[in-house]
Amino acid sequence: MKVILKQTLLASVVAVTTAAQAEVNIVSWGGAYTASQQKAYQATYKDPDSINFINYNGGLGEVRTQVESGNVTWDIVDVLPHEGRVGCDEGLFEELDRSMFKPAPDGTPMDDDIMVQVPNDCLVPQIFWSYVPFYQEGTFKGEQPTTIADFFNVKKFPGKRGIHTWPNALIEMALLADGVAVKDVYKVMSTDAGIDRAFKMLDKIKDHAVFWSAGSKPLELVQSGEVAMALAYNGRVGAAILSEGAKFVPVWDGQVLEEEWLVLVKGAPNREAAIDFLIHASTTESQAEQAKYINYGPMRSSAFEIMTKGEPWFHNGKTIMEHMPNRPEVMSRTVVANPEWWADYGDSIGERYTAWMGQ
Amino acid sequence: MSAAPETVSGPLITADGIPLKESLQKSLRRSKIRAALLVAPPLLFLIFVFVIPIGNMLTRSVDDKLINQVLPNTFEAFESWDKVSEPDESMFEAMYQDLKAADKTDIGKASVRMNYAKPGWRSLIKRTARKIKKMEPPYKEAFLQADDRWIDGEFWLSLGIMKDKRTFGYYLNAVDRTYDFDKNVIHVDEERKVYNLLWWRTIQVSIIVTLACLLLAYPVAYLLATLPMRIANLLMICVLMPFWTSLLVRIVAWMIMLQQNGVVNDTLVAAGILSDENRLAMMYNFNGTVIVMTQILLPFMILPIFSVMKTIPPSYMKAAQNLGATPTLAFIRVYMPQTIPGIGAGCILVFIVAIGYYITPELVGGKDGRLIGNMVAYHMQRSLNWGLAAAMGTILLIVILIFYWIYDKIIGIDNMKMG
Repeated sequence: MKVILKQTLLASVVAVTTAAQAEVNIVSWGGAYTASQQKAYQATYKDPDSINFINYNGGLGEVRTQVESGNVTWDIVDVLPHEGRVGCDEGLFEELDRSMFKPAPDGTPMDDDIMVQVPNDCLVPQIFWSYVPFYQEGTFKGEQPTTIADFFNVKKFPGKRGIHTWPNALIEMALLADGVAVKDVYKVMSTDAGIDRAFKMLDKIKDHAVFWSAGSKPLELVQSGEVAMALAYNGRVGAAILSEGAKFVPVWDGQVLEEEWLVLVKGAPNREAAIDFLIHASTTESQAEQAKYINYGPMRSSAFEIMTKGEPWFHNGKTIMEHMPNRPEVMSRTVVANPEWWADYGDSIGERYTAWMGQ
Repeated sequence: MSAAPETVSGPLITADGIPLKESLQKSLRRSKIRAALLVAPPLLFLIFVFVIPIGNMLTRSVDDKLINQVLPNTFEAFESWDKVSEPDESMFEAMYQDLKAADKTDIGKASVRMNYAKPGWRSLIKRTARKIKKMEPPYKEAFLQADDRWIDGEFWLSLGIMKDKRTFGYYLNAVDRTYDFDKNVIHVDEERKVYNLLWWRTIQVSIIVTLACLLLAYPVAYLLATLPMRIANLLMICVLMPFWTSLLVRIVAWMIMLQQNGVVNDTLVAAGILSDENRLAMMYNFNGTVIVMTQILLPFMILPIFSVMKTIPPSYMKAAQNLGATPTLAFIRVYMPQTIPGIGAGCILVFIVAIGYYITPELVGGKDGRLIGNMVAYHMQRSLNWGLAAAMGTILLIVILIFYWIYDKIIGIDNMKMG
């Protein structure tokens, strides 16, 4: 009896330690997004079995708990733009030596190859995604919505509107719909009058609004006819069109473009292996590869070249470029979100938005 | 007269030669240790998962130390400032010294804290800290060059809110109040008031759900307790099946039933009871939250009431009727009073679970069905304002204790029976 016990104990200890050595834990959002990361980064990695994906719901609460308690189990986390900044400021992420990342095929260093300025040394490029309005073909007779102003115009395009339960992107869109130029959006938002103006525009759809908080919801709402138009993550809309043949029409005018970054958690248990994987995941080739499986835009502009040459690039033989949120043609009418502004004013606007929602 | 005094004068001795007193003490100590060891695991468990975290929550909700550690010179200079004139060189120099000496991460944390006092602090500190190494006196000019917002007196005035090591600011925020720059308590702007409405709604939903559960559970529990075994067991399975089903599955099932184009609305429209434009809004609002929470929490009410009813001998009812009461009167005067411990347990259980509920409101609450629990989760996970989350958690705890106290006064906690 004792011998058996000893052996099983020994075996389990061995199993636990080998498992602990082998795995780099990457925390991401799940669904089609994580699947695209697994295919583009993990499957092409030299040691795919050493990578383990975990799902989370966003937010840095868990990361902060792990770092503060000194019991870190996550290595890499996929974070939103404002979290990438706050987390680095608070010392939750590790700053990374930029020289170890691979340059573009033409020799441009990684940080210069990224379409926005990299705000700090913690961040490793992932993708661009956007909040985009969309509707189902056949919802409107005659004229079809083509601008962000149409989204806020329930007289011209009757029906409910699906919007999210936090203010990001909605403030920007409301101002665009009210005639503010793309380049002036954050200037106007930095004044109290500008915020009032945005809420006045939001008031126009308030009685027609259905609120969502999970990314799959707006698609269900539009699909079932519960709402006529909704805002959604462009990747969700694109996936429905590209993979499921849904008859959705995105309205690119006035979309709000957001960054998505990978970070290394401070005190990550498998630091070296995690850094090696981060280098692999941020190469031009990996970034282009990811666009085969999801229509979020690569952060590195050199990846676009590979994709344009390789069209039809999507894995099932469809063309992908017209579904990219950061393709050059739509950029003139796209607001690139300013996470610094949101890190400063997000809380107070958030309270006002929550109050507005509940009134 | 010879043997007895001998044994009485000397100490009593056990068979193995140890004095009886000592031996008794030893065995008593042993049993005490055994008792302590038996109690230790749950006690340690309680300390680690209950006492320490709650203590931690209480400290976090009032703690404001960090900022004073990061900016000691600044706060000193702030004290000697007249709060009216433009900030002078000495204040900028103090800020310079603090930012230069502080650890980068601490500056990051402090700037996030300062941003609660006045939005904009975060980027102001960050932008300035980045250039601090290259700065030379006069510091006022250097700071203004780094960011022209430094001339804005409001930023400096807002330091007044943070100068103490303890703050009740988070508690004030949690009830839609805040400090002005002189640390007077004021209301927040009308359009930013969120929390009082949510507190009120949370209590309202909890009470409605508790009452609805009671109304639905009482007859079911009665049937469970009085029907013949075979049928009662079947009924019990009907009660427990949803209880064992995943929470999310149940919520999604309700969504399919109750949404605008859902089963219930479609049926009503098809039957001609409703017109197509007047479909009922039963999901993604207050109603959705109440309906779904009632269904989910129902077993917590049924089970305690059932277990109490089970112990009531049927002969009491018969005796009451024998003595001349009608069945209704017997039920009200004899049966119901005996079920009160179960009702009490069920109500307390449902109410306490309901008041902190957040998954269901998050998914089906829409615009006016979200509760305070959702805000706690939001501040824990998203905004990372743990101080505010802790303050709201503490208030929740107090609210529960108040209701518990009221319950004790009215019904008496000794009367509660969980089964």
